[in-house]
Amino acid sequence: MGLKRNVSLSTALGYKGEGPYLSYILHRIGGSALFIFFTLYILSLLGMGFASTIFSNWAFQIILLIFGLFHAINGLRITILDLFPKLIEHYRKAINIEWVAYILVAGFALFVVLRNAFGG
Amino acid sequence: MAARSLPISKRGFNFEMFMWTFTRFTVIVMYGLILAGIVGALILSARTGANFGDILYWAFFPNMAQNPLNQIWMTILAKLMVIAFVLAACGHGVHGVLEILDDYFVGADARRRSRNIVITYAILASLIAMYVIWIK
Repeated sequence: MGLKRNVSLSTALGYKGEGPYLSYILHRIGGSALFIFFTLYILSLLGMGFASTIFSNWAFQIILLIFGLFHAINGLRITILDLFPKLIEHYRKAINIEWVAYILVAGFALFVVLRNAFGG
Repeated sequence: MAARSLPISKRGFNFEMFMWTFTRFTVIVMYGLILAGIVGALILSARTGANFGDILYWAFFPNMAQNPLNQIWMTILAKLMVIAFVLAACGHGVHGVLEILDDYFVGADARRRSRNIVITYAILASLIAMYVIWIK
């Protein structure tokens, strides 16, 4: 497969992949966010002060939680569908359930981070 | 839409198949460890009077927080669990990063190089993490 895809950015953004495509893209972004988290975690364990400073920043925590939690919850859906292939017929319903679970968990996590950040 | 799945015997066994299986198993291990960690920290906080958040913070950042657990076996168990989690996360992440890189590096040489770099990084990072978590 060549790298030249001949797809413009506007065409790519207009791709009607809907829920499954959105979850696929967000899963990749979440994985990349967790890779950055893991690298910073190792640097933090090594005693690098800047890594700990980044960890304690509320904006970084929010970005990490938004994408990291999506990766975890979407990963759980993928694992369940992989282990029980008969459920693949209901994958759109599974994605909807996943979004509900994600909004609840991420909402609570955001509330906790923001409350700690602004001392409410 | 009918569910389509290929029997394992017909899938073949190459690097991609091995890593796909490994990724699925490591993620199950991670979910199990997260669940066990949360339940364990709740039990420990109730038994030792230590704060739940303090236990979790110490477990992930042992060199930055004071050990809130008094009994040595609890400390060893917690360290082993965190090491297991880090190893599982590292193993899981290797495949994810390689999958993304494979979409952008199409040449055989470039793919081999990116695989070597990512796998070396994962091994080094795991060794550093294990050392710090166990020693500190």
